[in-house]
Amino acid sequence: MCALPTVGYMPSDALAVCLTAIHKRFGDLVAVGDLNLSIEPGETIALLGPNGAGKTTTINMMLGLVPPDGGTARLFGAPPAHAIETGRVGTVLQDAMFLPSATVREFVELARALYPKRSTLDEILTLAGLTNRSGARLDKLSGGEAKRARFAFALAGDPELLVLDEPTAAMDVAGRQAFWAAMHRLADRGRTVLFATHYLEEADDFADRVVVVAGGRIVADGPTAQIRALASGRTVTFDLAGETADGLSRLPGARSMEVRGDRVRIESTDADATVIALVRSGRAFADLEISSEGLEAAFLALTAADTPTPREPEPLLAAARPEH
Amino acid sequence: MWAYLKFELRRMLREPGILVFTVLMPVASYVVFTGFGDPTSQAEGIPVEATIMIGIGGYGAIIGVLSLGGSVAVERTQGWLRQLRVTPLRPRAVVAVKAFTSTLIAIPSIVSVGIAGAIEHHIHLPVSHWLLILGVMWLGTVPFALLGLALGYALSPKVASTASFVLFFSLSVLGGLLVPTVAFPSGLQHLARTLPSNRYAELGWRAVAGHAPTGTGLLVLGVWGLLFAVLAAFAYRRSAATR
Repeated sequence: MCALPTVGYMPSDALAVCLTAIHKRFGDLVAVGDLNLSIEPGETIALLGPNGAGKTTTINMMLGLVPPDGGTARLFGAPPAHAIETGRVGTVLQDAMFLPSATVREFVELARALYPKRSTLDEILTLAGLTNRSGARLDKLSGGEAKRARFAFALAGDPELLVLDEPTAAMDVAGRQAFWAAMHRLADRGRTVLFATHYLEEADDFADRVVVVAGGRIVADGPTAQIRALASGRTVTFDLAGETADGLSRLPGARSMEVRGDRVRIESTDADATVIALVRSGRAFADLEISSEGLEAAFLALTAADTPTPREPEPLLAAARPEH
Repeated sequence: MWAYLKFELRRMLREPGILVFTVLMPVASYVVFTGFGDPTSQAEGIPVEATIMIGIGGYGAIIGVLSLGGSVAVERTQGWLRQLRVTPLRPRAVVAVKAFTSTLIAIPSIVSVGIAGAIEHHIHLPVSHWLLILGVMWLGTVPFALLGLALGYALSPKVASTASFVLFFSLSVLGGLLVPTVAFPSGLQHLARTLPSNRYAELGWRAVAGHAPTGTGLLVLGVWGLLFAVLAAFAYRRSAATR
Protein backbone atom coordinates (compact mmCIF):
# COMPACT_ATOMS: atom_id res chain seq x y z
CA MET A 1 0.00 0.00 0.00
CA CYS A 2 2.78 2.38 0.89
CA ALA A 3 4.35 1.84 -2.52
CA LEU A 4 1.28 3.10 -4.37
CA PRO A 5 0.27 6.71 -4.85
CA THR A 6 -2.79 7.26 -2.71
CA VAL A 7 -4.18 10.56 -3.88
CA GLY A 8 -3.77 11.47 -7.52
CA TYR A 9 -0.12 11.77 -8.36
CA MET A 10 1.07 12.43 -4.83
CA PRO A 11 4.20 10.34 -4.34
CA SER A 12 4.00 7.68 -1.66
CA ASP A 13 6.81 9.12 0.43
CA ALA A 14 4.73 12.20 1.04
CA LEU A 15 2.58 10.14 3.43
CA ALA A 16 3.30 11.11 7.01
CA VAL A 17 2.36 7.65 8.22
CA CYS A 18 1.88 4.46 6.30
CA LEU A 19 1.20 1.15 8.01
CA THR A 20 0.81 -1.88 5.78
CA ALA A 21 -0.67 -5.09 7.15
CA ILE A 22 1.14 -4.74 10.46
CA HIS A 23 0.26 -7.29 13.06
CA LYS A 24 1.41 -8.22 16.52
CA ARG A 25 0.58 -11.04 18.91
CA PHE A 26 1.40 -11.26 22.59
CA GLY A 27 1.15 -14.96 23.35
CA ASP A 28 -2.40 -15.97 22.42
CA LEU A 29 -3.67 -12.42 22.27
CA VAL A 30 -3.86 -10.75 18.88
CA ALA A 31 -3.01 -7.17 19.88
CA VAL A 32 -3.07 -5.83 16.32
CA GLY A 33 -4.14 -7.82 13.29
CA ASP A 34 -3.29 -6.83 9.71
CA LEU A 35 -3.85 -3.15 10.18
CA ASN A 36 -3.51 -0.70 7.29
CA LEU A 37 -3.41 3.02 7.84
CA SER A 38 -2.15 5.95 5.82
CA ILE A 39 -2.07 9.53 6.95
CA GLU A 40 -1.45 12.53 4.76
CA PRO A 41 0.72 15.38 6.02
CA GLY A 42 -1.36 18.03 7.75
CA GLU A 43 -4.13 15.68 8.84
CA THR A 44 -5.27 15.56 12.42
CA ILE A 45 -6.33 12.05 13.23
CA ALA A 46 -7.86 10.45 16.29
CA LEU A 47 -7.24 6.79 16.94
CA LEU A 48 -10.40 6.05 18.85
CA GLY A 49 -11.13 2.85 20.69
CA PRO A 50 -11.78 1.28 24.08
CA ASN A 51 -8.94 0.20 26.36
CA GLY A 52 -7.21 -2.87 25.03
CA ALA A 53 -8.25 -2.12 21.44
CA GLY A 54 -4.64 -2.11 20.25
CA LYS A 55 -4.11 1.65 20.00
CA THR A 56 -0.90 1.71 22.04
CA THR A 57 0.57 -1.31 20.29
CA THR A 58 -0.21 0.28 16.93
CA ILE A 59 1.51 3.50 18.00
CA ASN A 60 4.51 1.61 19.38
CA MET A 61 4.93 -0.25 16.10
CA MET A 62 4.49 2.98 14.15
CA LEU A 63 7.38 4.48 16.12
CA GLY A 64 9.57 1.39 15.87
CA LEU A 65 9.44 0.81 19.63
CA VAL A 66 7.89 -2.61 19.15
CA PRO A 67 8.87 -4.72 16.15
CA PRO A 68 5.78 -5.93 14.28
CA ASP A 69 5.41 -9.68 13.73
CA GLY A 70 4.71 -8.83 10.11
CA GLY A 71 3.92 -5.91 7.84
CA THR A 72 5.72 -2.61 7.54
CA ALA A 73 5.59 0.79 9.15
CA ARG A 74 6.81 3.89 7.31
CA LEU A 75 7.03 7.48 8.47
CA PHE A 76 7.57 9.99 5.66
CA GLY A 77 8.39 7.05 3.41
CA ALA A 78 11.25 5.78 5.57
CA PRO A 79 11.61 3.29 8.42
CA PRO A 80 10.44 4.84 11.72
CA ALA A 81 13.97 4.98 13.17
CA HIS A 82 15.06 7.20 10.30
CA ALA A 83 12.25 9.71 10.75
CA ILE A 84 12.94 9.78 14.48
CA GLU A 85 16.69 10.26 14.09
CA THR A 86 16.15 13.15 11.72
CA GLY A 87 13.90 14.86 14.27
CA ARG A 88 10.67 14.81 12.28
CA VAL A 89 8.63 13.14 15.02
CA GLY A 90 7.61 14.30 18.50
CA THR A 91 5.92 11.91 20.86
CA VAL A 92 4.07 11.68 24.14
CA LEU A 93 3.88 8.05 25.16
CA GLN A 94 1.46 6.54 27.59
CA ASP A 95 3.82 5.50 30.40
CA ALA A 96 3.37 7.27 33.72
CA MET A 97 6.89 8.62 33.43
CA PHE A 98 8.39 10.87 36.04
CA LEU A 99 11.88 12.17 36.32
CA PRO A 100 13.35 13.04 39.64
CA SER A 101 15.75 15.94 40.06
CA ALA A 102 15.32 17.91 36.85
CA THR A 103 13.33 21.11 36.34
CA VAL A 104 10.78 21.75 33.61
CA ARG A 105 13.21 24.16 31.97
CA GLU A 106 16.09 21.65 31.97
CA PHE A 107 13.77 19.00 30.58
CA VAL A 108 12.61 21.20 27.71
CA GLU A 109 16.15 22.47 27.07
CA LEU A 110 17.32 18.86 26.75
CA ALA A 111 14.67 18.18 24.13
CA ARG A 112 15.55 21.39 22.28
CA ALA A 113 19.20 20.34 22.18
CA LEU A 114 18.35 16.89 20.83
CA TYR A 115 16.36 18.11 17.81
CA PRO A 116 17.97 19.77 14.79
CA LYS A 117 15.13 22.25 14.32
CA ARG A 118 13.75 23.85 17.44
CA SER A 119 11.22 26.30 18.78
CA THR A 120 12.23 28.88 21.38
CA LEU A 121 11.93 27.97 25.03
CA ASP A 122 9.32 30.69 25.60
CA GLU A 123 7.21 29.53 22.72
CA ILE A 124 7.24 25.92 23.93
CA LEU A 125 6.42 26.82 27.52
CA THR A 126 3.60 29.10 26.41
CA LEU A 127 2.15 26.47 24.13
CA ALA A 128 2.24 23.89 26.91
CA GLY A 129 0.94 26.38 29.50
CA LEU A 130 3.97 25.97 31.74
CA THR A 131 5.49 29.45 31.61
CA ASN A 132 5.21 30.04 35.35
CA ARG A 133 6.28 26.49 36.24
CA SER A 134 9.59 26.46 34.36
CA GLY A 135 11.68 26.37 37.54
CA ALA A 136 9.65 23.60 39.17
CA ARG A 137 11.07 20.12 39.50
CA LEU A 138 9.34 17.48 37.46
CA ASP A 139 8.65 15.27 40.46
CA LYS A 140 6.85 18.18 42.16
CA LEU A 141 4.35 18.73 39.34
CA SER A 142 0.72 17.66 39.45
CA GLY A 143 -0.33 14.80 37.17
CA GLY A 144 -1.74 17.18 34.60
CA GLU A 145 1.30 19.46 34.70
CA ALA A 146 3.62 16.49 34.29
CA LYS A 147 1.67 15.46 31.23
CA ARG A 148 1.99 18.99 29.85
CA ALA A 149 5.73 18.93 30.55
CA ARG A 150 5.95 15.83 28.40
CA PHE A 151 3.89 17.56 25.76
CA ALA A 152 6.41 20.42 25.88
CA PHE A 153 9.22 17.86 25.47
CA ALA A 154 7.47 16.45 22.37
CA LEU A 155 6.97 19.94 20.90
CA ALA A 156 10.47 21.22 21.50
CA GLY A 157 11.89 20.07 18.17
CA ASP A 158 9.03 21.61 16.17
CA PRO A 159 8.28 18.16 14.69
CA GLU A 160 6.29 17.62 11.50
CA LEU A 161 4.45 14.67 13.04
CA LEU A 162 3.17 14.59 16.61
CA VAL A 163 2.11 11.25 18.01
CA LEU A 164 0.26 11.39 21.31
CA ASP A 165 -0.94 8.35 23.19
CA GLU A 166 -3.86 9.43 25.41
CA PRO A 167 -2.41 12.90 25.89
CA THR A 168 -5.11 14.26 28.19
CA ALA A 169 -5.27 11.39 30.68
CA ALA A 170 -4.68 12.84 34.18
CA MET A 171 -5.49 16.40 33.04
CA ASP A 172 -8.29 18.38 34.63
CA VAL A 173 -10.89 20.23 32.56
CA ALA A 174 -8.90 23.47 32.33
CA GLY A 175 -5.78 21.50 31.42
CA ARG A 176 -7.62 19.70 28.66
CA GLN A 177 -8.95 22.94 27.21
CA ALA A 178 -5.52 24.55 27.21
CA PHE A 179 -4.05 21.42 25.69
CA TRP A 180 -6.51 21.27 22.81
CA ALA A 181 -6.14 25.00 22.20
CA ALA A 182 -2.40 24.40 21.78
CA MET A 183 -3.07 21.49 19.46
CA HIS A 184 -5.30 23.65 17.30
CA ARG A 185 -2.49 26.15 16.91
CA LEU A 186 -0.10 23.38 15.84
CA ALA A 187 -2.58 21.89 13.41
CA ASP A 188 -3.10 25.34 11.91
CA ARG A 189 0.61 25.45 11.20
CA GLY A 190 0.25 22.34 9.07
CA ARG A 191 1.62 19.82 11.53
CA THR A 192 0.37 16.26 11.29
CA VAL A 193 -1.17 15.19 14.58
CA LEU A 194 -2.14 11.67 15.53
CA PHE A 195 -3.61 11.02 18.95
CA ALA A 196 -5.10 8.02 20.66
CA THR A 197 -8.11 8.48 22.88
CA HIS A 198 -11.09 6.63 24.19
CA TYR A 199 -13.21 9.76 24.41
CA LEU A 200 -15.43 10.31 21.42
CA GLU A 201 -15.82 13.98 22.47
CA GLU A 202 -12.07 14.60 22.13
CA ALA A 203 -11.96 12.97 18.73
CA ASP A 204 -15.06 14.92 17.75
CA ASP A 205 -13.75 18.29 18.93
CA PHE A 206 -10.33 18.11 17.46
CA ALA A 207 -9.78 15.53 14.73
CA ASP A 208 -10.60 15.90 11.03
CA ARG A 209 -10.61 12.19 10.67
CA VAL A 210 -11.36 9.41 13.12
CA VAL A 211 -10.05 5.89 12.91
CA VAL A 212 -11.97 3.53 15.17
CA VAL A 213 -9.96 0.58 16.44
CA ALA A 214 -11.39 -2.44 18.20
CA GLY A 215 -9.95 -5.87 18.73
CA GLY A 216 -6.71 -4.83 17.05
CA ARG A 217 -8.37 -3.91 13.77
CA ILE A 218 -9.73 -0.78 12.16
CA VAL A 219 -13.51 -1.02 12.23
CA ALA A 220 -14.30 2.43 10.90
CA ASP A 221 -12.27 5.17 9.27
CA GLY A 222 -13.74 8.42 8.05
CA PRO A 223 -14.42 12.09 8.58
CA THR A 224 -15.35 12.88 12.16
CA ALA A 225 -19.00 13.67 11.45
CA GLN A 226 -19.54 10.29 9.84
CA ILE A 227 -18.01 8.41 12.76
CA ARG A 228 -20.08 10.41 15.21
CA ALA A 229 -23.22 9.37 13.37
CA LEU A 230 -22.16 5.75 13.64
CA ALA A 231 -21.44 6.05 17.31
CA SER A 232 -24.61 7.94 18.08
CA GLY A 233 -26.70 5.10 16.65
CA ARG A 234 -29.72 3.74 18.48
CA THR A 235 -31.01 0.29 19.11
CA VAL A 236 -34.62 -0.36 18.11
CA THR A 237 -36.11 -3.45 19.71
CA PHE A 238 -39.61 -4.96 19.36
CA ASP A 239 -41.57 -8.25 19.33
CA LEU A 240 -42.41 -9.77 15.95
CA ALA A 241 -45.99 -10.37 17.12
CA GLY A 242 -46.44 -13.49 15.02
CA GLU A 243 -45.09 -12.15 11.71
CA THR A 244 -41.72 -12.95 10.11
CA ALA A 245 -38.63 -10.77 10.25
CA ASP A 246 -38.40 -10.62 6.43
CA GLY A 247 -37.45 -7.22 5.08
CA LEU A 248 -36.77 -5.65 8.48
CA SER A 249 -33.04 -5.42 7.83
CA ARG A 250 -33.86 -3.15 4.86
CA LEU A 251 -35.63 -0.57 7.00
CA PRO A 252 -34.08 2.90 6.58
CA GLY A 253 -31.16 3.46 8.98
CA ALA A 254 -30.83 -0.22 9.88
CA ARG A 255 -27.18 -1.20 10.10
CA SER A 256 -27.53 -4.68 11.51
CA MET A 257 -30.30 -6.91 12.74
CA GLU A 258 -30.51 -9.74 15.20
CA VAL A 259 -33.49 -12.01 15.96
CA ARG A 260 -33.71 -13.84 19.25
CA GLY A 261 -36.84 -15.93 19.60
CA ASP A 262 -39.70 -13.58 18.94
CA ARG A 263 -37.73 -10.42 19.64
CA VAL A 264 -35.87 -8.46 16.97
CA ARG A 265 -33.12 -5.99 17.61
CA ILE A 266 -32.05 -3.46 14.99
CA GLU A 267 -28.97 -1.27 15.25
CA SER A 268 -29.94 1.94 13.53
CA THR A 269 -28.06 5.03 12.53
CA ASP A 270 -31.37 6.92 12.32
CA ALA A 271 -33.87 5.52 14.79
CA ASP A 272 -36.58 8.02 13.80
CA ALA A 273 -36.53 6.93 10.19
CA THR A 274 -36.46 3.28 11.16
CA VAL A 275 -39.47 3.57 13.42
CA ILE A 276 -41.48 5.71 11.03
CA ALA A 277 -40.91 3.19 8.26
CA LEU A 278 -41.81 0.34 10.60
CA VAL A 279 -45.10 1.95 11.53
CA ARG A 280 -45.94 2.87 7.92
CA SER A 281 -45.25 -0.68 6.74
CA GLY A 282 -48.43 -1.65 8.50
CA ARG A 283 -46.97 -4.86 9.88
CA ALA A 284 -47.69 -6.04 13.42
CA PHE A 285 -45.22 -5.41 16.21
CA ALA A 286 -45.35 -5.06 19.98
CA ASP A 287 -43.39 -3.71 22.91
CA LEU A 288 -41.25 -1.20 20.94
CA GLU A 289 -38.14 0.16 22.66
CA ILE A 290 -35.53 2.66 21.48
CA SER A 291 -32.27 2.84 23.39
CA SER A 292 -28.89 4.43 23.06
CA GLU A 293 -26.01 2.28 24.12
CA GLY A 294 -23.21 4.72 23.70
CA LEU A 295 -19.82 4.44 22.23
CA GLU A 296 -18.81 1.09 23.58
CA ALA A 297 -21.86 -0.62 22.15
CA ALA A 298 -21.10 1.14 18.88
CA PHE A 299 -17.53 -0.19 18.99
CA LEU A 300 -18.78 -3.69 19.59
CA ALA A 301 -21.43 -3.40 16.94
CA LEU A 302 -18.87 -2.16 14.46
CA THR A 303 -16.52 -5.00 15.30
CA ALA A 304 -19.28 -7.56 15.01
CA ALA A 305 -20.64 -6.09 11.77
CA ASP A 306 -17.19 -6.25 10.25
CA THR A 307 -16.55 -9.91 10.99
CA PRO A 308 -19.09 -12.38 9.67
CA THR A 309 -17.51 -15.27 11.57
CA PRO A 310 -16.43 -14.84 15.17
CA ARG A 311 -12.66 -14.62 15.44
CA GLU A 312 -12.45 -15.47 19.08
CA PRO A 313 -14.48 -17.64 21.42
CA GLU A 314 -17.27 -15.77 23.19
CA PRO A 315 -15.80 -15.74 26.75
CA LEU A 316 -12.63 -14.05 25.50
CA LEU A 317 -14.63 -11.29 23.88
CA ALA A 318 -16.56 -10.76 27.08
CA ALA A 319 -13.34 -10.60 29.04
CA ALA A 320 -11.85 -8.09 26.64
CA ARG A 321 -14.79 -5.77 27.08
CA PRO A 322 -13.73 -2.71 29.04
CA GLU A 323 -15.00 -2.38 32.59
CA HIS A 324 -17.27 0.50 33.42
CA MET B 1 24.77 13.84 23.22
CA TRP B 2 26.57 16.58 25.18
CA ALA B 3 23.25 18.04 26.21
CA TYR B 4 22.18 14.66 27.51
CA LEU B 5 25.49 14.24 29.36
CA LYS B 6 25.04 17.66 30.97
CA PHE B 7 21.48 16.79 31.89
CA GLU B 8 22.50 13.51 33.51
CA LEU B 9 25.43 15.06 35.39
CA ARG B 10 23.21 17.76 36.82
CA ARG B 11 20.71 15.16 37.96
CA MET B 12 23.51 13.20 39.59
CA LEU B 13 24.76 16.24 41.50
CA ARG B 14 21.27 16.85 42.80
CA GLU B 15 21.17 13.46 44.46
CA PRO B 16 24.00 13.42 46.96
CA GLY B 17 22.35 10.61 48.96
CA ILE B 18 24.54 8.02 47.31
CA LEU B 19 27.62 9.63 48.92
CA VAL B 20 26.58 7.98 52.19
CA PHE B 21 27.54 4.66 50.62
CA THR B 22 30.45 5.81 48.54
CA VAL B 23 32.17 8.25 50.92
CA LEU B 24 30.86 8.07 54.48
CA MET B 25 30.73 4.30 54.83
CA PRO B 26 34.09 3.58 53.18
CA VAL B 27 35.89 6.27 55.20
CA ALA B 28 34.34 5.02 58.45
CA SER B 29 35.21 1.41 57.57
CA TYR B 30 38.76 2.41 56.75
CA VAL B 31 39.26 4.30 60.00
CA VAL B 32 37.83 1.40 62.05
CA PHE B 33 39.56 -1.46 60.18
CA THR B 34 43.01 0.07 60.22
CA GLY B 35 42.81 1.62 63.70
CA PHE B 36 44.61 -1.36 65.20
CA GLY B 37 46.99 -4.08 64.00
CA ASP B 38 50.66 -4.17 63.12
CA PRO B 39 51.62 -1.00 61.27
CA THR B 40 54.82 -2.57 59.89
CA SER B 41 53.12 -5.51 58.10
CA GLN B 42 52.86 -5.59 54.34
CA ALA B 43 50.29 -6.90 51.87
CA GLU B 44 50.29 -6.81 48.08
CA GLY B 45 53.85 -5.52 48.32
CA ILE B 46 52.93 -2.27 50.08
CA PRO B 47 52.25 -1.27 53.72
CA VAL B 48 48.98 -2.80 54.87
CA GLU B 49 47.34 0.60 55.56
CA ALA B 50 47.85 1.50 51.92
CA THR B 51 46.58 -1.93 50.81
CA ILE B 52 43.38 -1.43 52.76
CA MET B 53 43.11 2.21 51.65
CA ILE B 54 43.03 1.06 48.05
CA GLY B 55 40.78 -1.90 48.89
CA ILE B 56 38.16 0.15 50.70
CA GLY B 57 38.34 3.05 48.27
CA GLY B 58 37.75 0.53 45.51
CA TYR B 59 34.94 -1.07 47.46
CA GLY B 60 33.16 2.29 47.76
CA ALA B 61 33.76 2.92 44.06
CA ILE B 62 32.26 -0.43 43.07
CA ILE B 63 29.15 0.11 45.23
CA GLY B 64 28.56 3.50 43.64
CA VAL B 65 29.18 2.44 40.06
CA LEU B 66 27.09 -0.72 40.29
CA SER B 67 24.16 0.96 41.96
CA LEU B 68 24.12 3.93 39.56
CA GLY B 69 24.25 1.55 36.60
CA GLY B 70 21.51 -0.55 38.18
CA SER B 71 19.33 2.54 38.63
CA VAL B 72 18.72 2.37 34.88
CA ALA B 73 16.10 -0.20 35.88
CA VAL B 74 13.98 2.61 37.36
CA GLU B 75 14.33 4.82 34.28
CA ARG B 76 13.53 1.91 32.05
CA THR B 77 10.38 0.78 33.88
CA GLN B 78 9.14 4.37 34.19
CA GLY B 79 9.36 4.95 30.47
CA TRP B 80 12.15 7.52 30.42
CA LEU B 81 14.41 5.42 28.22
CA ARG B 82 11.45 4.80 25.91
CA GLN B 83 10.86 8.54 25.67
CA LEU B 84 14.52 9.06 24.78
CA ARG B 85 14.24 6.42 22.08
CA VAL B 86 11.69 8.54 20.24
CA THR B 87 14.06 11.50 20.07
CA PRO B 88 16.98 11.86 17.63
CA LEU B 89 19.37 10.79 20.41
CA ARG B 90 20.92 7.46 19.46
CA PRO B 91 20.35 4.56 21.88
CA ARG B 92 24.12 3.95 21.80
CA ALA B 93 24.73 7.47 23.10
CA VAL B 94 22.29 6.91 25.96
CA VAL B 95 24.14 3.75 27.01
CA ALA B 96 27.53 5.45 26.71
CA VAL B 97 26.46 8.48 28.76
CA LYS B 98 24.96 6.22 31.43
CA ALA B 99 28.12 4.13 31.65
CA PHE B 100 30.34 7.20 31.76
CA THR B 101 28.36 9.09 34.41
CA SER B 102 28.15 6.04 36.64
CA THR B 103 31.97 5.64 36.59
CA LEU B 104 32.31 9.22 37.89
CA ILE B 105 30.87 8.24 41.27
CA ALA B 106 34.11 6.25 41.87
CA ILE B 107 36.11 9.46 42.19
CA PRO B 108 34.78 10.84 45.51
CA SER B 109 35.17 7.45 47.10
CA ILE B 110 38.81 7.02 46.08
CA VAL B 111 39.70 10.62 46.94
CA SER B 112 38.06 10.57 50.37
CA VAL B 113 39.56 7.25 51.49
CA GLY B 114 42.91 8.46 50.13
CA ILE B 115 42.66 11.58 52.28
CA ALA B 116 41.75 9.43 55.30
CA GLY B 117 44.85 7.29 54.66
CA ALA B 118 47.10 10.30 54.30
CA ILE B 119 45.81 11.84 57.53
CA GLU B 120 45.37 8.78 59.76
CA HIS B 121 48.35 6.72 58.66
CA HIS B 122 50.61 9.39 57.19
CA ILE B 123 50.68 7.66 53.84
CA HIS B 124 52.89 10.02 51.89
CA LEU B 125 53.22 9.37 48.19
CA PRO B 126 54.53 11.48 45.33
CA VAL B 127 51.73 13.48 43.67
CA SER B 128 52.29 11.52 40.48
CA HIS B 129 51.47 8.28 42.35
CA TRP B 130 48.29 9.74 43.80
CA LEU B 131 47.24 10.86 40.32
CA LEU B 132 48.09 7.43 38.91
CA ILE B 133 45.98 5.79 41.63
CA LEU B 134 43.03 8.05 40.85
CA GLY B 135 43.38 7.54 37.12
CA VAL B 136 43.59 3.74 37.08
CA MET B 137 40.96 3.30 39.77
CA TRP B 138 38.55 5.52 37.88
CA LEU B 139 39.10 3.90 34.46
CA GLY B 140 39.11 0.47 36.10
CA THR B 141 35.45 0.87 37.05
CA VAL B 142 34.31 0.55 33.42
CA PRO B 143 33.62 -3.22 33.70
CA PHE B 144 31.52 -2.58 36.81
CA ALA B 145 29.57 0.17 35.07
CA LEU B 146 28.77 -2.30 32.29
CA LEU B 147 27.73 -4.91 34.84
CA GLY B 148 25.47 -2.34 36.51
CA LEU B 149 23.86 -1.50 33.16
CA ALA B 150 23.36 -5.20 32.42
CA LEU B 151 21.51 -5.56 35.73
CA GLY B 152 19.52 -2.39 35.13
CA TYR B 153 18.41 -3.41 31.67
CA ALA B 154 17.67 -7.02 32.59
CA LEU B 155 15.96 -6.78 35.97
CA SER B 156 13.17 -4.95 37.77
CA PRO B 157 14.32 -2.05 39.99
CA LYS B 158 13.95 -4.07 43.19
CA VAL B 159 15.71 -7.16 41.93
CA ALA B 160 18.43 -5.05 40.30
CA SER B 161 19.29 -3.27 43.55
CA THR B 162 19.37 -6.54 45.50
CA ALA B 163 21.49 -8.19 42.84
CA SER B 164 23.95 -5.30 42.76
CA PHE B 165 24.25 -5.45 46.56
CA VAL B 166 24.95 -9.20 46.55
CA LEU B 167 27.42 -8.81 43.71
CA PHE B 168 29.41 -5.91 45.11
CA PHE B 169 29.57 -7.52 48.53
CA SER B 170 30.79 -10.92 47.34
CA LEU B 171 33.15 -9.34 44.81
CA SER B 172 34.63 -7.09 47.51
CA VAL B 173 35.09 -9.83 50.11
CA LEU B 174 36.35 -12.54 47.74
CA GLY B 175 38.50 -10.08 45.83
CA GLY B 176 40.41 -9.15 48.98
CA LEU B 177 39.23 -5.55 49.09
CA LEU B 178 38.18 -5.59 52.73
CA VAL B 179 40.64 -8.14 54.10
CA PRO B 180 43.87 -8.61 52.10
CA THR B 181 44.15 -11.96 50.35
CA VAL B 182 47.30 -12.87 52.35
CA ALA B 183 44.85 -13.92 55.07
CA PHE B 184 43.01 -16.26 52.62
CA PRO B 185 43.57 -20.05 52.25
CA SER B 186 45.45 -20.75 49.03
CA GLY B 187 42.40 -21.98 47.11
CA LEU B 188 40.59 -18.73 47.77
CA GLN B 189 43.68 -16.75 46.88
CA HIS B 190 43.66 -18.34 43.43
CA LEU B 191 39.96 -17.62 43.06
CA ALA B 192 40.54 -14.00 44.07
CA ARG B 193 43.05 -13.55 41.24
CA THR B 194 40.39 -14.41 38.69
CA LEU B 195 37.88 -11.83 39.96
CA PRO B 196 37.48 -8.38 38.41
CA SER B 197 37.35 -6.78 41.86
CA ASN B 198 40.79 -8.12 42.81
CA ARG B 199 42.34 -7.12 39.51
CA TYR B 200 40.71 -3.72 39.80
CA ALA B 201 42.24 -3.17 43.25
CA GLU B 202 45.53 -4.48 41.91
CA LEU B 203 45.66 -1.48 39.59
CA GLY B 204 45.63 0.73 42.69
CA TRP B 205 48.02 -1.40 44.74
CA ARG B 206 50.61 -1.25 41.99
CA ALA B 207 50.03 2.46 41.48
CA VAL B 208 50.87 3.11 45.16
CA ALA B 209 54.41 2.05 44.31
CA GLY B 210 54.27 3.84 40.99
CA HIS B 211 54.03 0.63 38.94
CA ALA B 212 52.05 0.24 35.75
CA PRO B 213 49.30 -2.43 35.64
CA THR B 214 50.34 -6.03 34.89
CA GLY B 215 49.43 -7.58 31.56
CA THR B 216 47.61 -10.46 33.26
CA GLY B 217 45.67 -8.02 35.42
CA LEU B 218 44.52 -6.02 32.40
CA LEU B 219 43.66 -9.21 30.55
CA VAL B 220 41.46 -10.51 33.40
CA LEU B 221 39.73 -7.14 33.73
CA GLY B 222 39.36 -6.91 29.97
CA VAL B 223 37.75 -10.34 29.70
CA TRP B 224 35.26 -9.52 32.47
CA GLY B 225 34.62 -6.14 30.86
CA LEU B 226 33.89 -7.79 27.53
CA LEU B 227 31.59 -10.33 29.15
CA PHE B 228 29.67 -7.57 30.97
CA ALA B 229 29.48 -5.51 27.78
CA VAL B 230 27.94 -8.46 25.93
CA LEU B 231 25.49 -9.03 28.80
CA ALA B 232 24.57 -5.34 28.84
CA ALA B 233 24.08 -5.26 25.06
CA PHE B 234 21.95 -8.39 25.21
CA ALA B 235 19.84 -7.08 28.09
CA TYR B 236 19.45 -3.75 26.29
CA ARG B 237 18.18 -5.41 23.11
CA ARG B 238 15.78 -7.57 25.06
CA SER B 239 14.40 -4.66 27.05
CA ALA B 240 13.99 -2.59 23.90
CA ALA B 241 12.03 -5.32 22.15
CA THR B 242 9.45 -6.03 24.83
CA ARG B 243 5.93 -4.66 24.85
